[in-house]
Amino acid sequence: MKIVLSWLNEYIDLSDIPVEKIAQELTMAGLEVEGITDYRQVYDKFITAEVVEKEKHPNADKLSLCKVNTGTEVLQIVCGAPNVAAGQKVALACEGARIPDSDFVIKSTKLRGQLSQGMICSEAELGISNDHSGILVLPEETLPGKPLAEVIGYDDVVFEIGITPNRPDALSHVGVARDLSALLNRPLKKKEIASVRNSEKIGDMVAIEIEDQENCPRYSAVVVKDVTIGDSPEWMKSRLKMAGMRPINNIVDITNYIMLELGQPLHAFDLDNLSGSKIIVKRSENGSKFTTLDSVERELKDSVLMICDGEKEVAIAGIMGGENSEVNANTKNILIESAYFNPTSVRRSARYLGLSTEASYRFERGTNYEGTMNAALRAADLMAQFAGGKILSGELDVVSDKLTTKTVDLRYARIGKILGYRVPEDSVISILRNLEFRVVGSDQEKVTVEIPGFRPDVEREIDLIEEIARINGYDNIPPVERVTSPLESSVDQMETLNSLRAKMIGFGFNEIMNNSLQPLETAQETGDPIVLMNPLNAEMSVLRTSLIPGGLDTVRHNINNGEKDLRLFETGHVINKVGESLNSFENISEESALAVIITGRASEKTWSSAERHFDIFDLKGYLNSLLETYINTKKLSYIYNEEKAGIYEYSVDIFAGDEKLGRYGKISDSFAAKYDIKQVVFCAELFVNCIQRNSDKLRKYTPLLKYPKIVRDMALIFDSSVRYGDISGFIRKNSSSLLKNVDLFDKYENEKVLGEGKVSLAFTLEFFDKERTLTEEEVEKEFSGLINKVTKQFNAVLRGN
Amino acid sequence: MLNKISDTRNSFATDVANVKSAKELEDLRIKYLGRNGIAAELFEEFKTVTPEEKRVLGKELNLLRQELQSKYDELKEGIELSSKAAAPKIDLSLPGRAPASGTAHLIPQTMTEIMSIFKKIGFSVVTGPEVESDWNNFGALNFPNDHPARDMQDTFFVNKDFLLRTHTSPVQVRIMENQKPPVRAIMPGRVYRNEAINSRSYCMFHQVEGLYVDNNVTFAELKGTLVHFAKEFYGSSVKYKFRPSFFPFTEPSAEMDITCFICGGSGCRVCKHSGWLEILGCGMVDPNVFKSVGYDPEEVTGYAFGMGIERIAMLKHDINDIRLLFENDVRFLKQF
Repeated sequence: MKIVLSWLNEYIDLSDIPVEKIAQELTMAGLEVEGITDYRQVYDKFITAEVVEKEKHPNADKLSLCKVNTGTEVLQIVCGAPNVAAGQKVALACEGARIPDSDFVIKSTKLRGQLSQGMICSEAELGISNDHSGILVLPEETLPGKPLAEVIGYDDVVFEIGITPNRPDALSHVGVARDLSALLNRPLKKKEIASVRNSEKIGDMVAIEIEDQENCPRYSAVVVKDVTIGDSPEWMKSRLKMAGMRPINNIVDITNYIMLELGQPLHAFDLDNLSGSKIIVKRSENGSKFTTLDSVERELKDSVLMICDGEKEVAIAGIMGGENSEVNANTKNILIESAYFNPTSVRRSARYLGLSTEASYRFERGTNYEGTMNAALRAADLMAQFAGGKILSGELDVVSDKLTTKTVDLRYARIGKILGYRVPEDSVISILRNLEFRVVGSDQEKVTVEIPGFRPDVEREIDLIEEIARINGYDNIPPVERVTSPLESSVDQMETLNSLRAKMIGFGFNEIMNNSLQPLETAQETGDPIVLMNPLNAEMSVLRTSLIPGGLDTVRHNINNGEKDLRLFETGHVINKVGESLNSFENISEESALAVIITGRASEKTWSSAERHFDIFDLKGYLNSLLETYINTKKLSYIYNEEKAGIYEYSVDIFAGDEKLGRYGKISDSFAAKYDIKQVVFCAELFVNCIQRNSDKLRKYTPLLKYPKIVRDMALIFDSSVRYGDISGFIRKNSSSLLKNVDLFDKYENEKVLGEGKVSLAFTLEFFDKERTLTEEEVEKEFSGLINKVTKQFNAVLRGN
Repeated sequence: MLNKISDTRNSFATDVANVKSAKELEDLRIKYLGRNGIAAELFEEFKTVTPEEKRVLGKELNLLRQELQSKYDELKEGIELSSKAAAPKIDLSLPGRAPASGTAHLIPQTMTEIMSIFKKIGFSVVTGPEVESDWNNFGALNFPNDHPARDMQDTFFVNKDFLLRTHTSPVQVRIMENQKPPVRAIMPGRVYRNEAINSRSYCMFHQVEGLYVDNNVTFAELKGTLVHFAKEFYGSSVKYKFRPSFFPFTEPSAEMDITCFICGGSGCRVCKHSGWLEILGCGMVDPNVFKSVGYDPEEVTGYAFGMGIERIAMLKHDINDIRLLFENDVRFLKQF
């Protein structure tokens, strides 16, 4: 909302307060000043001037060479405007002037060989309209050498205020002035309506019927006869322009002016185009068509509230008037509509029509239902003054009994309970009065106020407390620091996740974060995605069912940028649909997941080592180290999928007890190809909550071993089809409690030495007892027993014997 | 023979003085202690003397041999040490073997930093789902069905009852619906807005939300807590101000500004020459929110606050394009 300082001054005297101070007061009261434009500074070095001579530029067809009188000297200016002519009074940007909203600074220069000592400006160049068809021609009587800002009525300051949706009252100059009145504790000035009424009675000319009182609880109208359509006075035009509205004609401008002044949108009908001397407010019919005054034909439906005359629809209530009743150059008689429309109704219609106007913007937020008649009369007053109209006597004002004034109690004690400090009772009452809340009762404990119509946001005690707080100043609330210890219910649901992240970072991985919105086809490959009703585009139409596709996007992006060796991880939610339809949270599976991705080289070639590429056992090793931190390894089990499964060429499912903890494997070439990835990628996806649920509680100390370990190695030749995991599992299962550890220290395949289809595996076995030193004999017995069992079970041969 | 022993002792002392290298030491050893060395010769001669002489000479001979041996050992140790020192030196300027060093993504990094500040002052950490019910995201938080406040929320819907949460505030609702007061929690998470992707906005981002509800929670304490946070996070010299604002779920509502940490408050491009940066929204929990979760607003009061993580991280690290955060270029990631 653009607020013009001189306009504001008509409602509250601010002449002694610096502009910055006003801005600060407003900001600190919740009307955030986002920008200040001081046109006196903007138009510094812009003056009025008279074109005394105009000739064609000798070297350019479209340029003119002008001699311009600035009151003190005559300058030569090269001008490109088609309308420039001798005798004109013009706006001149002198040397050093900066063109508004640009970095262009005027300086003396030669244009096609001719000196130009400034620039004659168009309205567009001055930033006061979009008109760049020619230069701005000032009135004949303008004297040269005057500061331009004064002459064009821009001797002013404009505040750009960000109005929060709860403050429709501040979408007007009087509303902003009211806040300042409370903030500065100085009176709000009122405007009297001066014009004399004509003896003709409005009631004899028009009647108003409201069929939908729910959505139009008040409709006020005033008739002004015999107006002359023309331009508005310059001061009004410049105020409108400074406030961001385009002047049209005196009647339309006045309705806009009153809207900006009082916050009440008005509509001016050409009374002679209203048939049947009637205004009827009712809902539209489904499918009917209506052409608004922007010449767009719009299709209506039955929820759209319309203003009709005796025969036809003439306006969309609260949004835009119709072409058929628009004020035009020949209009004589005006009906000013000043109504209160239900915010929800206007909002729905505006949304349905895809049409938002200054009027609908205000009606949607809630206008002042008490102020409709005053606004209509104030507009009529201006029409009498500036369009020569005659105001008919009497008023048409239909008010529904549904409009009731709210009354709210404010307990002084409650202010302290919410804000944490005491505001003196007399300050409370003074703030409320300055904001025009009507105090209707007060005692030692509370004050009772009636809420004025322009404050639809205030309905409850807490809303009044906010008024007290913001006017008294949030700065005046003392910051209180209290020592706080954790509550009994204290938890940290991110603990496991953050600890996993820290581990992965420690392992040398880069954490990534991908968009969780994906194309449908992508998400379908890893699950059953939840689809958005209103996606931005097809590329982001569903929620991700896995972190792997995003991870592969990252891999591709980095390979394309020459980064081929990657260790990446991501944590995030993976979301799947459960069942056919989504009716409750039961139908949504949302899991916190951890994805781990490695590709390229594990280590580069260096001066002391060869390069090595990642393989699946790197990933397995990372995962083992990671999981060991949380879960007793005895709880973990694995299913090996040597065949292609889903996106993996081969993979391993990890279980903690019966729960699936995750899966890892090598991404299949065909899946990688979808991401244009030609190098081998290994991925894992683990469920964080499963890790958390299966984590060891508090780990207790295990006494350190006091007795020596005995280590035995054995190498056996197996058929290549035998799996290491089966052998080590068999050894563990078939040994006594003396065997504590089995590990593989060599794997050797050589057809010539071992024969075809054979593999040699060398195991290290570790024996010890917590209570005593083992004897060589008992270990030897155990060891040779194991060798026998393994050779029998797997049809293996002991090597080296 | 005693003379010979004495001569040997003297000549050994002279020879020792001339030993400079391992080679000379070895020669010395052979000369005196070798199989055919002087000591061996003396012992050979010893066999021929009378038993009376043997008593005296035996002692002397043994003493001599011990002296020679210990002096030799001493020299040997010295020479070995000095020869080690003389060996070719290691080139310490060769590159080291560095393990890969990992990096935390800026968003979780910033979130964790914020959470740790609040954890220290007794806040729980609670998370919630990204697919939320319309009720938890809007209804329970005092957004009337057709209120203009929803202009501020352009929402991705799944169907008429479910949506992608537009803020972390629904986690407040979840906590309060499941727990009696007091409640004190910080709630980090990912949220979504139906906004086209460009350098300034993204369709998803992250927030950290805070909530404290108890019998005597006041706006003054909200201010105190957030000032504590700002000092921890932005430095103890930070200046701040609270401006009135509007959120449907808090009343009174405020926005907190701090002195621009880029220019120190003198005005720059980042703070739009105001010297201030808006860092969070906050307020006292609206009584309607308490009613929708079954708390009695006459009994309890509370405060809530929320901040956008991307904005904070981008301001802090001078990142001018939000897309960089989700592009995951390792050349970017490795910078932090």
